Amino acid sequence: MTQTKIAYPFEHLENGMRAGDLADFKDQVRSVVADPMLLEEQKRVAMMDAAYKTLPYPATSDAALEALGQGVICLLGEGPAPYHPRYVAPDFQKVLDEGSDFFNLKPATNLYEAITSLLTLYNYSPTSGDPPYIGNLDLLLEPFIRDLPAEAARPVLKSFWTLIDRLHPDAFVHADIGPDATRTGEMLLDIDHEAGTITNLTLRYDPAKTPREFALKAVRNTLQLSKPYFLNHPRHLADWGPDYIVASCYNIMWLRGGIFTLVRLNLAEVTRHYNGDLEALLDHEIPRLAALQVEVINSRIRHIVEEVGWFDHAIFVKEGLLDPEKFSAYAGVVGLNELVNEMMVRAGKPDAKYGHDAQANAVAVQIVSRLKQELARHPSPYCRGTGERVIFHAQVGISEDQDATPGCRLPAGTEPEIYTHLQATAPIQALVEGGVSDIFEFDQTARQNPEAVLDIINGAMKLGMRDISIGSTDSEFVRVSGYLVRRADLENRQEEQLLRYGTASIAREFFSAQPNTLHRRTRQV
Amino acid sequence: MAKMTVGRVNKILPQSFVDGPGNRSVIFLQGCQFNCLYCHNPYTINICNACGICVESCPAGALSLDGGRILWDQVACVDCDTCIDVCPNNSSPKTRAMTPAVIWEAIQNYLPFISGLTVTGGEPTCQPDFLFDLFRLVKGQSDLTTCIETNGGVQGEVIKTLLPDLDYVMVDLKAFDPEIHRALTGRGNAKTLETIRQVTEAGKLHMVRTTIVPGYTDQESQIADIARFLTGLNPEIHLRLLRFRPHGTRGIAAAWESPSDAVMDRLVEAAKASGLGHVDRSL
Repeated sequence: MTQTKIAYPFEHLENGMRAGDLADFKDQVRSVVADPMLLEEQKRVAMMDAAYKTLPYPATSDAALEALGQGVICLLGEGPAPYHPRYVAPDFQKVLDEGSDFFNLKPATNLYEAITSLLTLYNYSPTSGDPPYIGNLDLLLEPFIRDLPAEAARPVLKSFWTLIDRLHPDAFVHADIGPDATRTGEMLLDIDHEAGTITNLTLRYDPAKTPREFALKAVRNTLQLSKPYFLNHPRHLADWGPDYIVASCYNIMWLRGGIFTLVRLNLAEVTRHYNGDLEALLDHEIPRLAALQVEVINSRIRHIVEEVGWFDHAIFVKEGLLDPEKFSAYAGVVGLNELVNEMMVRAGKPDAKYGHDAQANAVAVQIVSRLKQELARHPSPYCRGTGERVIFHAQVGISEDQDATPGCRLPAGTEPEIYTHLQATAPIQALVEGGVSDIFEFDQTARQNPEAVLDIINGAMKLGMRDISIGSTDSEFVRVSGYLVRRADLENRQEEQLLRYGTASIAREFFSAQPNTLHRRTRQV
Repeated sequence: MAKMTVGRVNKILPQSFVDGPGNRSVIFLQGCQFNCLYCHNPYTINICNACGICVESCPAGALSLDGGRILWDQVACVDCDTCIDVCPNNSSPKTRAMTPAVIWEAIQNYLPFISGLTVTGGEPTCQPDFLFDLFRLVKGQSDLTTCIETNGGVQGEVIKTLLPDLDYVMVDLKAFDPEIHRALTGRGNAKTLETIRQVTEAGKLHMVRTTIVPGYTDQESQIADIARFLTGLNPEIHLRLLRFRPHGTRGIAAAWESPSDAVMDRLVEAAKASGLGHVDRSL
């Protein structure tokens, strides 16, 4: 998912580009063409992005336009009127089993054929570029690897894993593994440990089911690579059933489904445009904003389905890899920390901070519960995967966010000690069924005692945490918000070198806009 | 109910990654029979003799002398450690007498996150009755594992009494040469070597640790001696070499330097060359 800046000078919410904006448009194209920091493919994407943003937004009410203009409601690089879903989760298993006429693929009979089919399908991802979900790779490949000797399977799997990174150099490309240990899963963790690719990874972790040795291997990896994520599998199984998957950063959705759009409510921005107290916020402003957020979401869904007619002609739908009955949309939230703290100031308790104070934590739960409840009141067309209601998602921020802490997290650098931290955020995570995460960074001593890290993960799951990202101070990658960036690429970018990874440049922007995000509290152990 | 034993506790640390397997809560007991030149928390060596010197120095007025004991007002205390700095006795007025039940209560919040409880010090085996009751309580109430970090300078009978409710023992072997051991600690090492043997036979030795101290234990031959001794007991024993750090030390050790990475790596190799399979070092 190549993300670009939201606003060009020629971009207009209501009417799209006007005749008088042509010079700005040409300037934009010219600057892209001559940008020495972009590869040709990146230039093509940037020009396409500019062309597409000459279009108007789908019609919405004046109140919604105002909220969009203020940044209280904001879009995430989707452009004015999306012509495809933001995320999709194709049923790769179907092609491995049955083949595909359109893609000229036969049912896979061995490991080579299986990875050929997968790489082919990734190349045609009907999203904005690279595939945000590349499958539960251990389940998909285990039948082809189970009976092969390791020396035959490993080089092929390593080549496959390397190709995913080289062909799709994007940190929003996401694979799932677990909860069971498989030869493929074990091998993949070892290969990732050795190769250290940018591809995002989640372990669907079940403390009662995932073998301890497999979990410890994942801990070893995350202390070096800041991945995989540890996702609370029993919790998601209870909420979603067995057919959920994790895509992009930590986004939960149905297999064979997708997410039309992700529209965010920036709660930090709410503090700048709303002056009421907590009671008024809960009773009036949150309900008003939730209604506007769903309105904006719905206008975009209708555009994709009714104007573009996406379901009628999308080849992934025709081939049966995606099912219109499994789609939905995200109502994202960001900047909870700022809103909670501001409400405490307004209540005369400026020292009561989210994460550190029981009353502030309770206010956070009230705000999130209320928002969730309000979002569920409004129907969304074509969100048939979730009863025509949007999915609640904690979005982790982009470089344009000024003073908005990602999602429902605590701000980096001033986190309380780990148990207090977990106890503060677990009740919030419990409320967010469509993807949420918190990040913990340990000092390097943790590498000598991975069991201790697993103890903390298990404790976090007992508290009801849904998803945690763990890294160490000297790991090869940094978890930016939901995705990773290689430390070396952050440095390269500062040295003005060409980058293969599009996400590295967003990460650079993110960290230069929010430098404190790099300074998470190191857990001294 | 049996009589309530009481431990003299210096500190409770809710979480540690370096005191046994997994994440553990750690209880630091006050008092040690060794007197190591490089002790990293020398204020845990002796039991307070109520000399009263710290009372006058306390900037927060948190200490008072009352009938031969120091009273410590935990609320008034600002944790500046001035009392510890001025103590001529390598002790601390900031200790608490705690029963096993009180300790159990104190770690309740951390139970979801820990594998077990480790008692260290000071020297835990200096308070054997308390250890016995504490571990019995922990084992009766939970699946937590129990662990001690000991210098091993204790009678075999004491260890034997503790073993039924004790899962892991980490022994610090300060030096293999008895004379170097005596120079470093003030005592010989016969009991320590015997403790290692006893705990290995019981299958409860988690790790042996040796601090690499410049001029005392940084010779390959000495580390090789330790490795050969351990290999003779069981080649699977885990030996970890700890890098001496001046932080927290008093007296002459404060001026010593930490051994380099190169020295640490060479000593790890020397231990492995003596047949020991599992050797590593602190970072």
